[in-house]
Amino acid sequence: MNNLNKWFKSGSPWVWLSAGGVTLSLISVVGLLLLIASNGLSYFWPSQLHQFEMVDVDGKHSTVIGEIYDVETIPAEQVIHTGIDVKGAEFVERYLIKTGNRELVNLDFRWIVAPLIQQQTQPQDLVVIERRTNGNFYGFIEQVFMDGKAVELSKLDNFMARVDNLQDEIFELQKTDIGAINYELERIRLKTRKAEINGELTPELIASFDAQTQQLKDEYLALETNLNKLREEVQRDKIIVRAMGGEKIEINLEQVIHVSFNNKLNIIEKTTMFFSQIGNFIFAEPREANTEGGVFPAIFGTVLMVLLMTVIVAPMGVVAAIYLHEYAGNNAFTKLLRIAVINLAGVPSIVYGVFGLGFFVYMVGGSLDQIFYPESLPSPTFGSPGVLWSALTLAILTLPVVIVSTEEGLARIPASMRHGSLALGATKAETLWRIILPIASPAIMTGIILAIARAAGEVAPLMLVGVVKMAPTLPLDGNFPFLHLERKFMHLGFHIYDVGFQSPNVEAARPLVYATALLLVTIIVALNMTAVSIRNRLREKYRSLEH
Amino acid sequence: MINVKPETTASNNKVLDIHNLPDDQVALEIKDLNLFYGDKQALQNISMKIPKGQVTAFIGPSGCGKSTLLRSINRMNDLVDICKITGEINLHGENIYGKHVDVAQLRRKVGMVFQRPNPFPKSIYENVVYGLRLIGIKNRRTLDEACEKALRAAALWDEVKDRIHDSALGLSGGQQQRLVIARAIAIEPEVLLLDEPTSALDPISTLVIEELITELKQKYTVVIVTHNMQQAARVSDQTAFMYMGDLIEYSDTNTLFTTPAKKKTEDYITGRYG
Repeated sequence: MNNLNKWFKSGSPWVWLSAGGVTLSLISVVGLLLLIASNGLSYFWPSQLHQFEMVDVDGKHSTVIGEIYDVETIPAEQVIHTGIDVKGAEFVERYLIKTGNRELVNLDFRWIVAPLIQQQTQPQDLVVIERRTNGNFYGFIEQVFMDGKAVELSKLDNFMARVDNLQDEIFELQKTDIGAINYELERIRLKTRKAEINGELTPELIASFDAQTQQLKDEYLALETNLNKLREEVQRDKIIVRAMGGEKIEINLEQVIHVSFNNKLNIIEKTTMFFSQIGNFIFAEPREANTEGGVFPAIFGTVLMVLLMTVIVAPMGVVAAIYLHEYAGNNAFTKLLRIAVINLAGVPSIVYGVFGLGFFVYMVGGSLDQIFYPESLPSPTFGSPGVLWSALTLAILTLPVVIVSTEEGLARIPASMRHGSLALGATKAETLWRIILPIASPAIMTGIILAIARAAGEVAPLMLVGVVKMAPTLPLDGNFPFLHLERKFMHLGFHIYDVGFQSPNVEAARPLVYATALLLVTIIVALNMTAVSIRNRLREKYRSLEH
Repeated sequence: MINVKPETTASNNKVLDIHNLPDDQVALEIKDLNLFYGDKQALQNISMKIPKGQVTAFIGPSGCGKSTLLRSINRMNDLVDICKITGEINLHGENIYGKHVDVAQLRRKVGMVFQRPNPFPKSIYENVVYGLRLIGIKNRRTLDEACEKALRAAALWDEVKDRIHDSALGLSGGQQQRLVIARAIAIEPEVLLLDEPTSALDPISTLVIEELITELKQKYTVVIVTHNMQQAARVSDQTAFMYMGDLIEYSDTNTLFTTPAKKKTEDYITGRYG
């Protein structure tokens, strides 16, 4: 008893308790990251392809080809009633196999139970073909055709390289050149409409617009001819493949993104492929309702939106904090203001979304459209959700954080700094600008870091004010004025929600969800680390002041 | 009684009749100054003339109002919301509490150095030229020259000339205080106010600063607040003794320390209280 008392008095229980708390948070953070990382990264690792020879309860033979996605152990009773002989075992294993070949079967996945497997092999010439539509194909390549003539398999690599180049060219042509023409055509249409509204549409103007339109259309026709030629080119070669049921299918190489004999790959080749898959994931556009391909537009949208938000929130918050701390005085009203600011941070984010939609999108955006873009009405320009409104909404959401930390930073600056500057004949404003703000800059950066951390992970309000499942164009492109703040954008957080819970093929999308989550975390950490390193540099510069 | 100044002081130290000073020798004239913090009166009817080109010391026990008086001279008390002032302080015959006085302009003429060294977290160079940049001087050579001149005047140049672009926060306390003095004299004020400039420093740094003060009076009128009577005796030409917001006695240092006129002064300088 006495000992226990002594132990309590010594303070060790509290040390243990707090150490326990730290350990728990560490474990959960590391555990979370490890889970996401392992699940997310395994998506990119080229896995072994298996061929299962199956005999079902009626004695019918069949073949299943695919990747093993998951292994489960289930109680034998679950399968006994279907007539499967479990040989008295209490548990049986079942495999989730990704079989792909969507043109033959509707589902990408199927479960097979271990007792029905007669033989499991990993044939060397088993191939997985990643395609633009219909998902992966698993099977064997029977024949390769160049321009209708059968050639040997080894030529396939050359053909694939050729197809890749052509596809790049086509993509470039469509996105950049034809996109620019379309954009120009739309601008001419809007100019015509504007002139019409203003009553300035003279016959000369019409003629000039028509001439421009005609010229653009001619250009377009030339490009289209070019495009058609490329399309024909790209369709030159094809392969005949054999699926697990023995069906022979013809696949045009145009459709093929990647052909891989996974079972033949050694560890180095697999690693190379692993990284190239990650590269693809980061830099490619999504396909097949976002369940395949990359997430580049979502990365771009997330980063752009967060940067835009930072650019908006930093000056607003700093100015507000300076006013509150330096000029507003300390009375009941400012106390009320401070309480209001702090409480703003507690408002659920979806409420900000509703506010953003009502105020920014409909009111501000709607008015902007009325004043500046009457020619494109009734279709809205700024009057519909977009990246600018998302950034503004999140800026308001994160404003309290910046205000509070900036104010704290200002309060921490010793009075002697102000006095020193004032005594040298500086005005209050000069003192603020030359001395106080630089010294407070690390605190301001802390506010910005917290704001970024909060904003980058926020999804709910964005669904109301600008995020979409699939944005046809990035908010930044080569067409004047280059940065299109009115455009809708894609966001990694929403992408996770969409792929994970809204896609037709949730099972297939699961690894993608992990991979996207890993990416989102990485991006947020990267943004934060950048801000933290800036802050640390500032701290180093303005360190001190503790006399 | 304390042994007073060495005999070797400069020739302009002939004893002035401080109460009947001719106008051209007055740097500052304080007239009937009352100062209130809210309801509390901190200074009562202070009237005195501070002579040009000399060192005037304010001494007195803690809370006697000597720092408050000093801060009134460049209106640093304006920063205290509840502070009210009546009376006048005249600089060149013009009341610094007048209606149209530009406070920033005033503080350029009346520089101030504080108790604790407060260099800005910038380079030594930027600290010194801060006041010059404020006036809008951008010419690199002008700034360089002014910086060197001020640092030399503050007896710091030789110690820092190789690292004037390093952070000022790397200097020692004594060096920092000299830097702050250099910063104040870089804009060439007429009056330099020193508010217990050595109280946060070690004895050796204190000695250096005291020597510096003696140097500075060649060019500037110096007013120093100190709680250290030996220091007042060592560096000042005039001494004012304050007690509870009143100016008890004001005369040349020699007289005040050797033959004080008032009982309170005598008690204080002989160490009966304080």
